[in-house]
Amino acid sequence: MAGRALNPAGVPALRIATLVGLWAAWEAAARTGLFYEGVVPSSLLVLQSMARHVVDPVFYSHAWRSIYEIGLGFALGTGIGMVGGIALGAHAFSNKAAAPYIHGLASTPKIVFLPILMLLFGAGPGSKIGMGAFSAFFPMVIAIAAGMGEINPVHVRVARSFNASTWQIVRKVYLPSLVEPAITGMRLGLGVAIIGVLLAEIKFSDRGLGHLAIQHYNFFRVADMYAVLLLTFSLAVLANGLMSRVGTALVRRKAPA
Amino acid sequence: MALTVSGVSKTFAASDGGSVHALDDVSLEVREGEFVSIIGPSGCGKSTLFQIIGGLLTADRGDVQVNGRALNGAPRDIGMVFQEESTFPWRTVLDNVAFPLELAGLGKGEREDKARHFIRLVGLDGFERKFPDELSGGMRQRTAIARTLAFQPSILLMDEPFASLDEQTRILLGDKILQIWRELKQTTLLITHNITEAVQLSDRVAVMTYRPGRIKRVIEIDLPRPRSSEIIASAEFGRYVGLLWQDLREEATRGMADSERKAG
Repeated sequence: MAGRALNPAGVPALRIATLVGLWAAWEAAARTGLFYEGVVPSSLLVLQSMARHVVDPVFYSHAWRSIYEIGLGFALGTGIGMVGGIALGAHAFSNKAAAPYIHGLASTPKIVFLPILMLLFGAGPGSKIGMGAFSAFFPMVIAIAAGMGEINPVHVRVARSFNASTWQIVRKVYLPSLVEPAITGMRLGLGVAIIGVLLAEIKFSDRGLGHLAIQHYNFFRVADMYAVLLLTFSLAVLANGLMSRVGTALVRRKAPA
Repeated sequence: MALTVSGVSKTFAASDGGSVHALDDVSLEVREGEFVSIIGPSGCGKSTLFQIIGGLLTADRGDVQVNGRALNGAPRDIGMVFQEESTFPWRTVLDNVAFPLELAGLGKGEREDKARHFIRLVGLDGFERKFPDELSGGMRQRTAIARTLAFQPSILLMDEPFASLDEQTRILLGDKILQIWRELKQTTLLITHNITEAVQLSDRVAVMTYRPGRIKRVIEIDLPRPRSSEIIASAEFGRYVGLLWQDLREEATRGMADSERKAG
């Protein structure tokens, strides 16, 4: 490839510079009064509000509710997606039949199903868990169904030549071969599960980070709203980082080239 | 144990709507403890025969018997070594070789002891904890062979196990195969397109025709045992290679003409 070699130390430096630049632009917008008062509060106010939130037990009751809903929804959605993906991938016919529905639903914003989920699971955490599960299901089922096509057929033949049962083939050949697509599905699934749950909380709920943010908004506590959004963002980054860790630990070896 | 293939035929539907007559009335016997090779040009149905004997495909007609008992769908104890890269990349050498024992439900200690025995037999001791991507192609294929031996099959069936290796490595691994064969007295059927390999290893070599695959001739390789690869230099060895090539040349020519016609 032509062009300058990347200086590896330059990347974090650029990231920090971007962050500082954004912050400076924000602060400038806040101080010049260019925007309607309160829309862009000073970063100092936001930081103070964040500090207040992290020592406030009320904030944690909201945070735990969201984590609970996201966690359970994510686990259910990816679990069912995994089983569904294997079943679809194992049967070329049903995979072909179901593919347009799955891909169609996958690209539909899940929030339109919130009323149905509320009818089914009530206005409490149930419908939020449902949103999280419904959202996380699709990336997983698609990644696994595609990953099934990548399984080395010789590995399956080897297992069959040793008289492996179907269940043994699933456990000892399919699952280890599906680790990478599963991690892809989980990473995408976690992102959309967080979005789904927070959106549902914003729409209708009595607790959760989405609810807290929209409450601040309703009472025009703009700095508090930003504080909750930033804290939510940090939690999402943390969860994603954790997922990457789990991913790299699971992918031990790739196939020899 | 003896292996008997009797009257096996197989026809496939081709992608152009026609059909491919892969095997036509193939019969062959491998006696207890014998080393037999099947040699034929590319596309002669060798791999189809391999899969039928191993039980991964069913024949249209004919059957496969071990010690006179037909294998129709019953759990097999024919150990297959595949041509393709077949080691599990997520398992160490030890866990790869222990795989068939794990399927059979053996405890961890017992299966690892047995696996170590077969790893030593193929000369990979010291590499138990390595993953396939840390090994050479020849070492990976030896891992696959050890894994099949750990299955303790009554018949060992190999489909061009060294096809992806260079000639010199292949000849040296041939020595290894003979050494293992002497030790285990394992009835072995090798499928190959390599004439040198067939003569170096076998008691008898069966030549297959190109499409439909039939057994054209069976040649006894009357070279002294135990053999080492040094035998390649002998005049007798050269005579057998020449004899096989006479039979194979016509088949290989037909195969090549066929594939060139398809390409054109």
